[in-house]
Amino acid sequence: MTDLQTAPRRARSASWRRLSSLRVRLIAVFAAVALVTAVSASGIAYWLNRDAVLKRAQDTALNDFRGSLTRNVSQLPLQPTCQDLTALATQVASSGLAYDVVVVDDSVPGCTASSDPIAFTVRQVPAALLTAVNKPRETGPGNPYEYHLYWQRVNLAGPYVVGGTKVVPGGPTAYVFKSLQNERADLNTLGWSLAIATLLALVGSALLAQAASATVLRPVRRLGDAARRLGEGELDTRLDVEGNDELADLARTFNRTAESLSEQVAELSAREAQSRRFVADMSHELRTPLTAMTAVTDILEDEADLLDPMIEPAVRLVVSETRRLSDLVENLMEVTRFDAGTAKLVADEVDMADLIMSCIDGRAWYDAVELDAPRGILAVVDPRRLDVVLANLIGNALKHGGSPVRVKVRQDDEAHTVVVSVSDGGPGIPEDVLPHVFDRFYKADKGRARSEGSGLGLSIAEANARIHGGAITAANNPDGVGAVFTLTLPLTQPPAPGPEEAR
Amino acid sequence: MLPVAGWDTMTPVSFLLLIEDDDAIRTGLELALTRQGHRVAAAASGEEGLRLFKEQRPDLIVLDVMLPGIDGFEVCRRIRRTDQLPIILLTARSDDIDVVVGLESGADDYVVKPVQPRVLDARIRAVLRRGERESSDSAAYGGLVIDRSAMTVTKDGQDLQLTPTELRLLLELSRRPGQALSRQQLLRLVWEHDYLGDSRLVDACVQRLRAKVEDVPSAPTLIRTVRGVGYRLDPPV
Repeated sequence: MTDLQTAPRRARSASWRRLSSLRVRLIAVFAAVALVTAVSASGIAYWLNRDAVLKRAQDTALNDFRGSLTRNVSQLPLQPTCQDLTALATQVASSGLAYDVVVVDDSVPGCTASSDPIAFTVRQVPAALLTAVNKPRETGPGNPYEYHLYWQRVNLAGPYVVGGTKVVPGGPTAYVFKSLQNERADLNTLGWSLAIATLLALVGSALLAQAASATVLRPVRRLGDAARRLGEGELDTRLDVEGNDELADLARTFNRTAESLSEQVAELSAREAQSRRFVADMSHELRTPLTAMTAVTDILEDEADLLDPMIEPAVRLVVSETRRLSDLVENLMEVTRFDAGTAKLVADEVDMADLIMSCIDGRAWYDAVELDAPRGILAVVDPRRLDVVLANLIGNALKHGGSPVRVKVRQDDEAHTVVVSVSDGGPGIPEDVLPHVFDRFYKADKGRARSEGSGLGLSIAEANARIHGGAITAANNPDGVGAVFTLTLPLTQPPAPGPEEAR
Repeated sequence: MLPVAGWDTMTPVSFLLLIEDDDAIRTGLELALTRQGHRVAAAASGEEGLRLFKEQRPDLIVLDVMLPGIDGFEVCRRIRRTDQLPIILLTARSDDIDVVVGLESGADDYVVKPVQPRVLDARIRAVLRRGERESSDSAAYGGLVIDRSAMTVTKDGQDLQLTPTELRLLLELSRRPGQALSRQQLLRLVWEHDYLGDSRLVDACVQRLRAKVEDVPSAPTLIRTVRGVGYRLDPPV
């Protein structure tokens, strides 16, 4: 009961694990693709934008600075004072593009001529720029000017571009400070927008992956469920084929496989049923002539002594073989009843000791068997079936094992069973024969063409124990002497509907 | 005809009717039963069996279950409508529905094919012995009066038609009023079966007996079931 309940649950959780990991993998792949695409796209866009924006801003400022400087430098006197220089700086800076200008002249040392002397002085100009600006270049056909305009981006309480150039050879040097704060703000906004877009792309890709995995995994799970049901024996399990994709193809293949499987199973079981019916019919047909023959064997046996000594052995042979044949057919019919599941119990409460004693007495085995059975162990069994079991076990021990044959009966209160063990003093059962002792017609000794028994005895005994809800096990005695057959039976049978009135 | 030998000449010859459709089985059983000391009439079908039964009034009927035309159960039921003579069924197997139906139709006992003539003979003799009287007293259970000397049972002054088996079962129970008897005990006492007796024989016979002696057979007051033990006859209150 517990097995039946836990098995599907276990299968379900296992398949859930499998599917969820597949789902996780799909989502991870989708997210990675989205991340790489979005990050590289927005990265490229950002860097291109940043470059363009900054270049445009600084080019505008520097060109304006150059123009303004050229326009205003002519007003400067030959020997400028610090005041003149400051006036130049203020003049140049007032062009309207909101930059500040610092003018330096080596001939007026200590003078800081700045349009905004509190914020900008020459100290804030990077050393590399100072050097580059003051370094004259070779003039030639490709280079008309001796001094160039140089620029550098620096961080002075915010992003700035600092440009510088000599106004005239030997004259003052002017530096421009242009704030790029607005451009940086624009770029930051762009960066945020791109980051948010990347995030949205990630979320979108995860949702997409979820949807994709659902469309792929739902049919896969259905297929898995169907395969499990098929495995559990529901051979009529089929899948609905939707669409024309690979999964539909798989479903079609599954359906074809299930179809051919169920056909083969049906054919096999039909063939098995046919052969069982044949054995049942055959033994049934054999019984009618056997009944007639059995009816007259007693007469033949009684008269055998009076017959011609030539005929007497023949008559005895007919009598004994008729009985053997009759036993064999009876056993065959019993076997077919077990196979067909039509064997029934006619159960009654009996004292196990009485039953075993009667079994031994009835077959005149009393001298050969040591019985250890306390009276008072009551079990609900089919006495005739149990008699068959006991007769087979004890008879087998006497025939193949040899004395002393011991029969021991014990009640197991814990398991609510009665345990009957039959041990013998023979050579035991070879290990390779042990698993086959309950097989039909199994001959331990292949050389022996005919056994005394029908070859069905132990198999029938075992089947009889089974329909009682019990079992028989065969083993060798641990001390090395003889074999032990152990019969275990429940003390009570499940209630069966009987011809009993209600009370 | 085989020479008749080896049987007790003191036993009165009983007259059996054998109803069996298979020629070989019928011939074989006829030979064997005749040799066991019985007089045997044989019929090959249920119809012929019923005709012979009416003409020759046998002491006991050995009846095959599987008969062409009217089957063994129907033959049994028709005979039971008027007569209470012992009927032994010949059946294919001991554990199938045939036995139950046969016993419900009123058969006293059954044997399984292929049957050893000695076993069948023992059963026949046991059934016939059930009708023999033994003691000479009588007992009353309410309206039910069991007269052991006359081997009759009356209910409210009316004679009850009991088969020898039913009568014997009632006698055995009435011999130990208030004491529960197990099915196995009853099988030994009434059917003379050994330890392998079929307890369904007892159950079926109790059912038939209740139908005849109880006021309300489905709510028995005389023959009570003792759960896990068997049956007992309650002494009159």
